[in-house]
Amino acid sequence: MENQTAEVLVLGAGPGGYTAAFRAADLGKRVVLVDSEPTLGGVCLNVGCIPSKALLHAAKVIAETKEMSENGIAFGPPSIDLDRLRAWKEGVVGRLTGGLAGLARQRKVTTIRGYGRFTSPHELRVDLADGGATTVGFEQAIIAAGSQAVTLPFMPVSDPRIIDSTGALELAEVPRRLLVVGGGIIGLEMATVYHELGAKITVVELLDQLIPDADRDVVTPLAKRVGRQYENVYLKTTLTDVQATPEGLVVSFDGAKAPATDTFDRILVAVGRRPNGKLIGAEQAGVTVDDFGFIGVSKQMRTNVAHIFAIGDVVGQPMLAHKAMHEAKVAAEVAAGKNSYFDARAIPSVAYTDPEVAWAGATENEARAAGVGYGKGVFPWAASGRSLTLGRSEGLTKVLFDEATGRVIGCGIVGPSAGDLISEAALAIEMGADAADIALTVHPHPTLSETVALAAEAFEGTITDLYLPRRS
Amino acid sequence: MAAVTEVSVPDLGDFADVPVIEIHVAPGDVVSQEDPLVTLESDKATMDIPSPAAGTVRELRVKIGDLVSRGSPVLVLDTEGAAVEPPPLTDQQEPPTLDAADPVAPEVDSAQGPAARSASMAAQDGAVAAPAGGPPVTALETGPPADFDGVHASPGVRRLARELGLDLTALSGTGPKGRITKEDVIAGVRGPAGGATAAVAAAAASAAGAGAAAAAGAGIPEVPAQDFSKFGPVEVRPLTRIQRLSGPALHRSWLNVPHVTHDDEADITDLDAYRRELDTTAKAEGYRVTLLAFLMKASVSALREFPRFNSSLTPEKDALIYKSYYHLGVAVDTPEGLVVPVIRDVDRKGVLELSRELGAVSARAREGKLTPADLQGASFTISSLGGIGGTAFTPIVNAPEVAILGVVRSKMAPVWDGSAFVPRLMLPISLSYDHRVIDGALAARFARHLCHLLEDVRRLVL
Repeated sequence: MENQTAEVLVLGAGPGGYTAAFRAADLGKRVVLVDSEPTLGGVCLNVGCIPSKALLHAAKVIAETKEMSENGIAFGPPSIDLDRLRAWKEGVVGRLTGGLAGLARQRKVTTIRGYGRFTSPHELRVDLADGGATTVGFEQAIIAAGSQAVTLPFMPVSDPRIIDSTGALELAEVPRRLLVVGGGIIGLEMATVYHELGAKITVVELLDQLIPDADRDVVTPLAKRVGRQYENVYLKTTLTDVQATPEGLVVSFDGAKAPATDTFDRILVAVGRRPNGKLIGAEQAGVTVDDFGFIGVSKQMRTNVAHIFAIGDVVGQPMLAHKAMHEAKVAAEVAAGKNSYFDARAIPSVAYTDPEVAWAGATENEARAAGVGYGKGVFPWAASGRSLTLGRSEGLTKVLFDEATGRVIGCGIVGPSAGDLISEAALAIEMGADAADIALTVHPHPTLSETVALAAEAFEGTITDLYLPRRS
Repeated sequence: MAAVTEVSVPDLGDFADVPVIEIHVAPGDVVSQEDPLVTLESDKATMDIPSPAAGTVRELRVKIGDLVSRGSPVLVLDTEGAAVEPPPLTDQQEPPTLDAADPVAPEVDSAQGPAARSASMAAQDGAVAAPAGGPPVTALETGPPADFDGVHASPGVRRLARELGLDLTALSGTGPKGRITKEDVIAGVRGPAGGATAAVAAAAASAAGAGAAAAAGAGIPEVPAQDFSKFGPVEVRPLTRIQRLSGPALHRSWLNVPHVTHDDEADITDLDAYRRELDTTAKAEGYRVTLLAFLMKASVSALREFPRFNSSLTPEKDALIYKSYYHLGVAVDTPEGLVVPVIRDVDRKGVLELSRELGAVSARAREGKLTPADLQGASFTISSLGGIGGTAFTPIVNAPEVAILGVVRSKMAPVWDGSAFVPRLMLPISLSYDHRVIDGALAARFARHLCHLLEDVRRLVL
């Protein structure tokens, strides 16, 4: 391949990378997009958000049909054809990544498949996937190199029974007993899938609650449900050893309620993701990478080298596609001479578990730690007609308000479709809405979205769907 | 190895936050001393920033549209001797900007601590990495460094402010509960608090999307666009830079100032005879003595007599600022459009000195060589159409000034002297004023006083 030049080089074609490439192209830049994978879309589309949602939908169908049998509609136990399920999931992924390739073509974005490393502040060497190498000279670059799953040092390296999220999504088999290491979003989503597919699940988490970033009261309904469903949930517990034996993986635990050892058919390691900052020759370009692999950026997404930007997982937590996409637009716009800034006040997080857990803005834990005076309005879904008609009553909507200004500063929701409900809170935070603004906005009845308004009414003291003692 | 010099904006007059409108060099260009590097635009003038030394441009620190002030970095120059630079990259015009060209030290600081700690904990112990980020980099921001945290403004408004380089923390909102609205941002860019130029304000107006309606202020309906080519052949020619700048300024004055124009006329028969005498002598010395110099002297006398005409309203509009100086703006017609250079300290200058200065400044205006200092500080303005014709007109007050004197061509007219009509040279004057500051009676007195002075030039020296 001939050497290439680009006005804007984008390294990495995940949600951040392709968004940056497309936005820069739309602003008139000649863009080259480099990624080592055969399809665009990065982890999110290929081995992350999208395939996991397909499998979670399957899990939801299984769960709902099972629960409905108690209410007069019985289907019998599901017959699961893993090959067809996998093919359907891959079809969804293929449709989306194919769509991206089309969008790249329409914008005349040059895509190069290969592993890119910087060799100078204005050159990237790409070891092509098809063999050989090429050099891309660039005026400006946007690093969107993403992250990869953290591995545990004491795990047997090459045992195929030890998998990360990518391996879990491959759906090679449904193990009889699955150990999920890490009680965060990724681990619990895959636990949800494998539980409904028939695996007995054990979850082990270092801290004292599942999804430790969210407030405890928002996680409790999920914790209760999985506590009933799963074989074991061990909190405040660590793994100390794993031995691979032909009969299974023998795991040693250190935790109050965990046994000393137990044997599992598979282990899913979901203990976090490590940024890829150290794997791209950033130092050759003069870009500073910290010890852990993060690249520091300004609010305009510039690294310490003015003409090189970085976005997405590689610049810091939270490692979420929607954060990367917004940062991508800022970087592309600044590269094109616009004065854009990453000014977002709320980046929603969602666990697509059953029930879903979602939060945006400040959590109570954060508000307390920051010493912010806040008040809250809470609406339990047991009083929501819509939730009860779904056969569910454990949900909760909690909205936090700044005591000084009355403005929404955060929101946490647990329950079916919580991930779709959180956007209203994010908009409220960005717009500086207060409780009355939400409470006085007419929400349709009966809906789950109504619970956001009812939480605001609870804070305002105008709610009639609950009886709350008068606030002093 | 060559010395690396950072070129910054020199002291070119009393201005701040002026936009860069042209960049004449690119990285790698070899420049000589005094070569223009970039062009800035302030009020109604443009100025070039010359290179302080010969050398090679290493890196630009500005881009078109950036707002700069005295001391703002413009570019990095390798001063000569450096011509033996590293060989150019094969496919690149731009030299590497590493090493000295990127003096910003990466701020690897303690903020990375939590990230590394929690993540490594996760790696060992099986937790999800806690929220954290890489080390912050702040020194390269191109806009106001202000954090907009806590500002009551929607994301769209925040983006507009970023695009326009406006610091929202310094702005108060007019929306519900003090929300900063799009209109507030536009007003902030235009107003004295924003300190930006008309060009930026125009950008604000177009960026606002709501268009000229929002830009014009309180809900003034926009003139609907028309396709004139339906009616016959048309051609679009862009306005000159001066016209693009003066247009919004005039519009602003016209919309903000409640205008009244008071007409009067002065008998300048004797003044004109005296002026001709002086002019004949002056011509031999290479300059002209025009009526304008006398109008300026007479205006200063009238301003002293009626100091309200030499004042401005405070931004809060609850007080008047009286000025103890007499700098007069003089509207000059140039091929590029209307400019208003300022003659300073008119009260301390004689008619001949003023005449010489007017000649020089008019010449510079026509050549487009006025500096921002030439255009600032007027307390009163005179617009003379005497060289062309007319009988009366309505000049627009150059806000925040409160009055402007317009004059048209003098003409011989029969004047009743009590017993007979006698031919006298009469000069029509049109005094526009801000009715918030000046009432009609005061304007009539001012105009009368002015005419009285012009009618007997001896009074000018009193």
